[in-house]
Amino acid sequence: MKNHDSRWHNGGVSRRSILKAGVATAGLAALGVALPLRAQGRGISVTCWGGAYESAIRQAFAEPFAKETGVPVTLVNNADLTRMKVQVDSGNVSWDVFDSIGPQIMAGARQGLWAPIDTSIVDTGKLMQKTGKDHVGTYSYAGGIAFDPKKFPDGKHPTTFAELWDLKRFPGRRGLRSRASENLEMALLADGVPPDQLYPLDVDRAFKAMDRIKPAVRKWIETTPETVTLLTSNEIDFSYTYLSRVLPAQRAGSSVAMSMRQTLNSLEYLAVPKGGKNIQNAMRYVAFCLRADRQAAFCELVEFSPNVTGATDLISAEARQRMPDMNSPDAIVIDDAWWGDNYDKLQRRFTEWLLI
Amino acid sequence: MAHSMSTRTVMVLLAPLCLLLLVFFLLPLGRVGWASIYDHGYTLRGYAEVVSGTLIHRVLGNTLHISVLATLTSLVLGYLIAMHLAGMPPRRRAPYLVMVMLPFWTSILVKSYAFTIVLGNSGLVNQLLGWVSGGAWHAEMLFNRMGVVLGMTNYLLPFMVLPIMASLVNQNRSLHLAAEIMGAGQWRIFSRITFPLSLPGVCAGVLMCLTLSMGMYITPALLGGRQDMMLANLIDFYTRQTLDWTLASSIAFVLLGVSALLIAMLIRVQRDQETTFA
Repeated sequence: MKNHDSRWHNGGVSRRSILKAGVATAGLAALGVALPLRAQGRGISVTCWGGAYESAIRQAFAEPFAKETGVPVTLVNNADLTRMKVQVDSGNVSWDVFDSIGPQIMAGARQGLWAPIDTSIVDTGKLMQKTGKDHVGTYSYAGGIAFDPKKFPDGKHPTTFAELWDLKRFPGRRGLRSRASENLEMALLADGVPPDQLYPLDVDRAFKAMDRIKPAVRKWIETTPETVTLLTSNEIDFSYTYLSRVLPAQRAGSSVAMSMRQTLNSLEYLAVPKGGKNIQNAMRYVAFCLRADRQAAFCELVEFSPNVTGATDLISAEARQRMPDMNSPDAIVIDDAWWGDNYDKLQRRFTEWLLI
Repeated sequence: MAHSMSTRTVMVLLAPLCLLLLVFFLLPLGRVGWASIYDHGYTLRGYAEVVSGTLIHRVLGNTLHISVLATLTSLVLGYLIAMHLAGMPPRRRAPYLVMVMLPFWTSILVKSYAFTIVLGNSGLVNQLLGWVSGGAWHAEMLFNRMGVVLGMTNYLLPFMVLPIMASLVNQNRSLHLAAEIMGAGQWRIFSRITFPLSLPGVCAGVLMCLTLSMGMYITPALLGGRQDMMLANLIDFYTRQTLDWTLASSIAFVLLGVSALLIAMLIRVQRDQETTFA
């Protein structure tokens, strides 16, 4: 009996421990995993998001760059900041260029992961949205209010954030993201703050405005695909989502549309990690991505807007039509630098606000 | 047989497992522990935040509540299934066992999406309810705690059914027969013989389900409402979003401590039970 008992004990503990360790070390697991990706010769590797984004990157940037400079580019999907940090911290950097969204790039910048941008190679003068010393904004993607046009024809759906907040005129189940950024901007715009006076955000006012919409939000959405699928499965009526999600869904035959009257635009960034073996070539790649003709070629393929002056003029009228007019005050650009200083604190407050 | 093995043989047999656990479990765990107290110098900042933060307290409360609820639901449903399966001849049991294992082999992400279709406002269950009642009945089962508990129960069931079934199948049938001959009714046989003898299986199932649900991540994120955040979601947030590994490791260690405590209590209860019935 005693023997039997202790076996149970041990079995229970070790099994529990293994499972627990899986959770505890979820991110840190990368520590133990050797990354077999080695830059081949003088080639560089660039992180990527897969799917249509990857094929557009390949067509507009990676392949033309290789042809022009003779430096082959390997695209690495599913890269995340945790693994990037491990690479830089251990001095074994296998990704030469990190392509990511604002919060990740800013968190990396705070941790000192990025090398300063070499302005003798990279021309940052033509950037529409000026960015930091160790990263550049490449192109932006638009977020806005999506709905089912069959259920909510023109006039029946909100087109601006003020209308999204107007629960009397536009009753319906809302879906918003479960993060502070974008939501607080929408709340302030809905509350009547002029777009050019948005930053620095009046956080208390924003949270007060968030209180008004809280009861109408059915789901605080964790994953981006859900911002469209919950709409098409009729679990929510109005969703904050992205043009790069809505248009492909439309092409696939779903009844979904996005109001372009007021949009929040977020930049995608490139950064070069410190300690890389090909920093020179990495900088050349970044410079290449900021060329107006390359930007135009990219934005022709996917639903992004260029961040370089002169690029828009090179884009076909057809592609330009689906893009937000970045000169309009209603195409608001998210200030990632501001968020970089405030994200942790505000996301925490936001999460607490959600739990109450 | 087991008693005749020498200490040396036991040590040799256990060495590979111990080595594996040391390298792939204890060392990484040690690094997490180290990260929770060391960030360019020793710090207790992470633990201080865990102790003082209302956010973490609330989320810990959620985690315990949801885990216990999901484990209890799995226990009730799992016990019924296990009893049904244990009563079958082995040959007939096989296909049913495959059905029990099915959710085990399906991606948890896919299952969570599928639950949206089943439990949603315009989901299958609500359509059926509406059809039966002529549109009067409607149940909110998605994006709230019920959704999380249902989704987790679906995931946990095999972990509950299998150990309980094993302990039911292995029971000595002559005990039941003896009780019946002595005039005990079905309920009495169950409450005095079947159930007590299945307790090791129940404890194993409960242990596994509690452990698994404490670390659950995708299900609460996809099926839960705003008040159903769990600790694993918070750990992920600090690990990947803000790169605050000190805080993330501290939360992970607190979660580890709390689950260890719960499990120690359960093992204690189980041991008392066994001495009572031995």
